[in-house]
Amino acid sequence: MDDLIIDFVTETSEHLEAASSQLVQFETEPSNIAIVTSIFRLLHTIKGTCGFLGLTRLEKLAHSAEAVVSILREGSLATPDLVSLILAAVDRIRMILVELDRHAAEPPGDDRDLIEAFENHLAMLEGRASVAAAPDAIVAPHPAEAAEGKSPGPSQQGHQPETIRVEVGTLERMMVLVSELVLTRNQLLEISRRQEDEAVKAPMQRLSALTSDLQDSVMRARMQPLSRLFSRLPRLIRELAVETHKKLSLVVEGGETELDRQLIEVIRDPLTHMLRNSADHGIETPDVRAAAGKPEAGTIHIAASHEAGYITITVSDDGRGLSLEKIKAKALARGLVAPADLDRMTDEAIYRFIFLPDFSTATQITNISGRGIGLDVVRENIETIGGSISVAAKPGKGTSFGLKIPLTLAIAPALIVEVGPHRFALPQQSVIEAIGFGEGSHHRVERVQGSLVLRLRNQVIPLVDAREILRLGDAPAVPQESQLAVIMRVGTQCCGIIVDNVTDVQEIVVKPLGASLSHLFCFSGHTILGDGSVVLILDPAGIAKALGLVQVLELGVQNNIEPFVPPREKTRLILFRAGSDALKVVPLSLISRIEAITDEATEVSDGMLVMQHRGFLMPLISISREDATKKERPVLVMGIGGQSVGLIVDEIIDIVEDFLDIEIASAKDGTIGTAYIQDTVVEIIDISHYVKIARPDALARGVIKRFAILLVDDRLFFRDMLSPILTAAGYRVTTASSGAETLSMLKRGAVFHMIVTDTDMPGMDGYTLAREIKRDPKYAALPILALAAHAAPIISEAAATSGMCGVVGKFDRTALLEMINANLGVEDLGSHDLEKRIIQEFAA
Amino acid sequence: MIREQAVNHGHVGALKPQQSRCFTVVSEGRTFGLPVESIQTVFEMVALTPVPLAPCEILGLVNLRGKIVTAISLRRRLRDDPTRSETSNLAIGMEHRGESFALVVDEVGDVITLDAGTQIPVPSHLGVEGIKISAVHRLESLILPLLDLDWVFTFSRET
Repeated sequence: MDDLIIDFVTETSEHLEAASSQLVQFETEPSNIAIVTSIFRLLHTIKGTCGFLGLTRLEKLAHSAEAVVSILREGSLATPDLVSLILAAVDRIRMILVELDRHAAEPPGDDRDLIEAFENHLAMLEGRASVAAAPDAIVAPHPAEAAEGKSPGPSQQGHQPETIRVEVGTLERMMVLVSELVLTRNQLLEISRRQEDEAVKAPMQRLSALTSDLQDSVMRARMQPLSRLFSRLPRLIRELAVETHKKLSLVVEGGETELDRQLIEVIRDPLTHMLRNSADHGIETPDVRAAAGKPEAGTIHIAASHEAGYITITVSDDGRGLSLEKIKAKALARGLVAPADLDRMTDEAIYRFIFLPDFSTATQITNISGRGIGLDVVRENIETIGGSISVAAKPGKGTSFGLKIPLTLAIAPALIVEVGPHRFALPQQSVIEAIGFGEGSHHRVERVQGSLVLRLRNQVIPLVDAREILRLGDAPAVPQESQLAVIMRVGTQCCGIIVDNVTDVQEIVVKPLGASLSHLFCFSGHTILGDGSVVLILDPAGIAKALGLVQVLELGVQNNIEPFVPPREKTRLILFRAGSDALKVVPLSLISRIEAITDEATEVSDGMLVMQHRGFLMPLISISREDATKKERPVLVMGIGGQSVGLIVDEIIDIVEDFLDIEIASAKDGTIGTAYIQDTVVEIIDISHYVKIARPDALARGVIKRFAILLVDDRLFFRDMLSPILTAAGYRVTTASSGAETLSMLKRGAVFHMIVTDTDMPGMDGYTLAREIKRDPKYAALPILALAAHAAPIISEAAATSGMCGVVGKFDRTALLEMINANLGVEDLGSHDLEKRIIQEFAA
Repeated sequence: MIREQAVNHGHVGALKPQQSRCFTVVSEGRTFGLPVESIQTVFEMVALTPVPLAPCEILGLVNLRGKIVTAISLRRRLRDDPTRSETSNLAIGMEHRGESFALVVDEVGDVITLDAGTQIPVPSHLGVEGIKISAVHRLESLILPLLDLDWVFTFSRET
């Protein structure tokens, strides 16, 4: 049976079940407006879904019932006859659903009896007819039919995939338990770190790893790609096009974006409503469009993306836009606003009226988006889950709705920042860098017309003081020397927030704010830190909005083919001071983090300086020449083959991006050579030299390479999981989400040393992709590695016949790295080779 | 960290029809009733994270056994006066419309069984201060107004 119909039957039956107590109540309290509204919504949803599933019998029945209930919703009193008619209609819907479940088709016959009775009632309620409906015309479903329908034999169940239905509540409970487990694990780690008990250490680390795996699995169990939701939309659009006699086309992007299952369910209806709205009110008829010089077919564009702890979904159309005048007139007529206030309101504020209940400017009631139901319900649903909805429009050009939905359970690294006594979390994802204003800093902060701006390199970045925006007391006119500006990227723009200090980086579980706080746009959620305290999560997008940086509405989709450009041409370098000689640089790609240490935090063990770092010991090498009594010094943390090495320096000066040409090669240990960076002579540090001292075994693994690997997987989850592993192992990683995308990259001239592809992908599977690539003799030597759920013999065979060089399990990171190593040539890289590689990379 | 006290949901025997139970709280010397079903726990708040820009009734956020709850000062809610500092740290864990709250009060009293017969019409002057009352009961020792929870947990939104 069609998956969509299975889903529809299951969902609608659930809805009916949930509504059954209210239906009983409706019999005794026909004037209870809450119940009437709830029944109305139920019927409305059934009607809408049937419309695009092509279930005409149900649609007609639900439509006529809805028309009557709609009038009750406006305050007309239901007669007992009408109540029993509505209940009879609900029973009939149930009966049809049972048949639908068994035969995957609507039972033959029609519901003329009920529909006619509804029409009579409708006429009566509207006062256009004096003839009362004949209640005896209502025919209950045939008893035999109904009885038969209730006992579907097990043999008729059809083929079911190997899944079980688990109540979302159960998953929710698991997630809560896991979150608490993580917090407890963190506390235990703190304690065991202090006590240094060897007997506890090993089981503690095992517990820690298991907890992380468990957390990961539970999270994954709840995540689903939005494509599950999006896959239904083309059908809906086709149906809408027929119903509205318009030409519609749909562009969907970002289907791989994953969202908590529960949230997917919550946004299902709102999204459907928004599409109906766009098709019905937004897009014009073909002749109107042609007259306006637009293509006859209207485009509805849906794009989803993951942004700083949120999923954003935009639904835009290239239709007529919203009529400000109509909205203003309606708002005035409804007494929602005084004329004087209206003049002062921004367009955006005026557009927001459309999210109010019963605010429809459509003059015609249609079967599609109906009677003012929709946008208020959309807003209500989105706000229940801590999300928000925005609207933008350009007359004649189109309308765009933006949904911002929190990732309830997303775990993300965040900076913990301090402002006076307050602490806040700032999602690391959107943070670019933190800039100090101390003495000798090149960064100038100025006030321009009352607003702070920072001149950073060649950019002028708007700044805001956290004290000012959060009203935490008086902010100094210019930042103090001890303060920091955290620079964030929001969409395509940058902005900064001034805080007193950045104290920590922690993995946080993002929880959405409750309804009473969700209007505070500066915060995206709250979380509990390892020490049990609650902190609010700052929302970079909200801060940008407060600064007046609002994204420009972009309409129309351009699908120009751009030539493939390798990710990096210039090298990003960390410029720092260590000793009195020239400034030093290290490629930023080799540094995984920058931390600060005090001498008290370090210890000498086995003749080597070490520090505690994320629960492990990290060897430290100092190239700092500064007096050891100085309070804090920066440490460049390098991640090599899963191990960390810290390099203590005197001071970080800047991060620069430039072409790196080595002018003078060096014979000195620890230095590759001298180069000219942004008009300054700098020394390039040979990281391999220090790594060899601190972690002699790390280099023997030969993991520092700059080979380019293309990772192909349709699931964002796996791309996100595997690409950091490969990056950490020193590879340059590019990702693609499908076979078609891969082929198009290669066609546009992308060069990879190896391709790692998932075998099981929709559209084109991994084997087909490998065969397609291998058809070009140019790629005969290009190793292609298969990623499968398990490395079973049958898969190995299929991979080999498709010209692939091997198979590894998706969760076997060791095997993955070994296999890549083996195919890119095993070389025991000495420092000389490494140097050569680094130099080659720089020269390239 | 958090000292809690279980709420006795009144094991005083089964309720007769027409009866209900309410939990009494004291704020600024005045006694109010809260429906007992909406109350989950009574606890002492230890660490409170203030929420900048929030309405003044919202004192902040509290970690209640791994769950983040929003702390509301009943005193400020009753008077709507942001200058009055909240001195109590006694809170009642409640759930309202899917959101978790901690209602901060001065004292908690007993669970009282109410009979429909003691209910009297809401005196008109009770609404003067803007406090919304859902019902009033005349008991032997006092006149007990029941707070309208929808009103208690609805705040002015400032954007």
